[in-house]
Amino acid sequence: MAPVVDFLQNCLDGLSAGAAYALLAVGFTLIFGVLRRANLSYGPAIMLGAYAATWLFLQTGAGLLVLFAVAVLATVLAGTYVERLCFAPHRKGAAAAAMVASFAIWMQLEELATLLLPRHLYAFPALYEGGPLTFGPFFVRVESLLILLAAVAVCVAGWKVLYATRFGIAVRAVIDDPRAAELSGIDVGAVSLRIFAVASAIGGATGFLIVASHEQVTPMLGMWSTLKGMLAMMLGGLGSLPGAIAGGLALGLIEAHSQWYFGPQFRDFIAYLLLFVLLAARPPWMNTRSAY
Amino acid sequence: MRWLLGLAMALSFEAVAQKAEARLDCIHTGKDFIYDCVIEIMRQGQPVTDLDVRMSADMPSMPMAHQVKPVTARATSTPGEYRAHLDLEMSGEWAVKLRLAGPLRDQLVLHYEFDERGARPVRGSGRPPRK
Amino acid sequence: MDEYAIGVLTSVGLLSFVATSAYLLLIAGELSFGQQAFFGVGAYAAGIATAMLGLPLFLGLLIAMACGAAVAALVGLPALRLRGLYFAMATLAAAEMLRILFELFHWQVEVGGEVVGPDGTQGFRGIRWVFERGVEPLGFLALVWGMLAVVLVVIHLLERTRLGSAVRALGEDPELAGTLGIDVLRLKLAVVAAAGALAALGGALFAHHNTYIEPRNFDIMLGVHTLAYALIGGLGTVVGPLLGVALDLGLLEGTRVFQGYRMIVFGGLVALLLIWRPRGLLDERVVHWLRTRR
Repeated sequence: MAPVVDFLQNCLDGLSAGAAYALLAVGFTLIFGVLRRANLSYGPAIMLGAYAATWLFLQTGAGLLVLFAVAVLATVLAGTYVERLCFAPHRKGAAAAAMVASFAIWMQLEELATLLLPRHLYAFPALYEGGPLTFGPFFVRVESLLILLAAVAVCVAGWKVLYATRFGIAVRAVIDDPRAAELSGIDVGAVSLRIFAVASAIGGATGFLIVASHEQVTPMLGMWSTLKGMLAMMLGGLGSLPGAIAGGLALGLIEAHSQWYFGPQFRDFIAYLLLFVLLAARPPWMNTRSAY
Repeated sequence: MRWLLGLAMALSFEAVAQKAEARLDCIHTGKDFIYDCVIEIMRQGQPVTDLDVRMSADMPSMPMAHQVKPVTARATSTPGEYRAHLDLEMSGEWAVKLRLAGPLRDQLVLHYEFDERGARPVRGSGRPPRK
Repeated sequence: MDEYAIGVLTSVGLLSFVATSAYLLLIAGELSFGQQAFFGVGAYAAGIATAMLGLPLFLGLLIAMACGAAVAALVGLPALRLRGLYFAMATLAAAEMLRILFELFHWQVEVGGEVVGPDGTQGFRGIRWVFERGVEPLGFLALVWGMLAVVLVVIHLLERTRLGSAVRALGEDPELAGTLGIDVLRLKLAVVAAAGALAALGGALFAHHNTYIEPRNFDIMLGVHTLAYALIGGLGTVVGPLLGVALDLGLLEGTRVFQGYRMIVFGGLVALLLIWRPRGLLDERVVHWLRTRR
């Protein structure tokens, strides 16, 4: 019986972690879908948002709602800055330049964050004060359920926007074929900017949820978010929002089981191995339409 | 160009390296990330005096990214002890490099975690463990 | 020469190996986030060769290059048909897998009464072949730059041959290159292997410079930084990457006033520079202009 319990508990743990990965992947996918470029500054922008909220908390002890708003706002500001500096100028040109520029700003944002808060660890107010939910031999953290709820909400809202608003039509047109969209009168630049803002807002919210559920903030948040988000995005097939959610949850599950059966080092190894194998095999659902 | 000849000669001769052990004791001076460090150098349990000690540092996770200015550590009144100010760019884990010359020629790498107070050792004395 | 200057120049030289390695892939049309792993392969291979097997340095360097090329080819083969971000992510995944393998790699032997060898996350100490022969920093600097110069000259000469044109054609437009009779996949694999060998050579020298390596030395930051150096310096000439490295380390040295703000300044400058020059300072246009001035 026990191995089954372990397996199911690992599934729960995996889905819990995966919810955060899913949200991160959604942000990356939105940007990638519309711009066809990876934004290496996405994680750092999220980190800056979380750091801004932490700084405010340390200065004023503000409540969770205010901190949430600040995190989202700061991330959106950072994201807009990145879009204007790194992606707008290279829209027609080389993708390498845009990605390397986004890496340069990654460095910039990380340094800004560590100037704001130099230490390696800061406490953050808890998202939920109580303990985990238990049912039988299993337990689930309430925070994880909240994050999962957020992921679902984002998905539903995203679907509504994409299929029931004019903005959504424009976005889908650009995702499908940017040149055709432009020829039919859509302002691709404006669409890119707004999607960046939306993705950053989601990112800011995700960052807030992550640090509040862990009750701590560290400088590793930037790189961690970028890696997990990109990994999840690619596992999910790099192209659709449901794919992003699926990729995130899958990554969480893979990590949880790998860690249980093989240990923490293998946890990361297996995730990377799986991605590499999937990329090499290129199954049809991986959507390997030209990446640039 | 003497050093070129020296290089050529050195690459063709055997040289016996002498092994030392070292320990760091650093306090944050309060300014930037400058640390006041006392280095204790020993060989087979005995302190080593009259050494020429050059100290610098590198970050393990970003090698060669931070070029820390090498400093010469001056001998203090205590035998085997040398003192220098180490100017780092940020806090965190650093691999401190000591290059010894004079009666003992050796090169050591010590891992220390530097924070607002001082430095804590992360690993051993910088030598491969004795069998 | 002042010891600090020697240190900076040595670092510039060593990093240039990795940056040039990224450059080779860039002109072949691909972004690699993984060259740091081959830097690591070379470091470990050379370290094992000289510190554990007692081989002389030049053999260690050759073994390192061979291992770098072999591992790169092994990793590149499944990823060969991938392009753009997919290829980049594959290189990232492979590099992280290699780094984790370094963390799991334990092999120690007794040499002269001491235990020497890679010890997982604790790293690999005692790579002292160069140090034990009394080579001073200036001498090692000469060794690094000597080898780098040879490599750069070789690549520069090769770029002017049909092979060089084929690689650049591959980078410009792989489909067109294919129709021109270029064996696209084989050429790409060759570039991947060559880039791996080059990064490995740098790693081998790095290992002997530091006398100590650990898996953390070879993480993503090194790879993304050197990729940026290659692009910033310029893709028009093989000395572009070197320029990129020199600019960053030079800016660091020359601007003590920016202490603590270095990345803010440098990052912003890089992003602005890329708007003006998407293919770097010494891009193809500039290089062509310089050549035709004669």
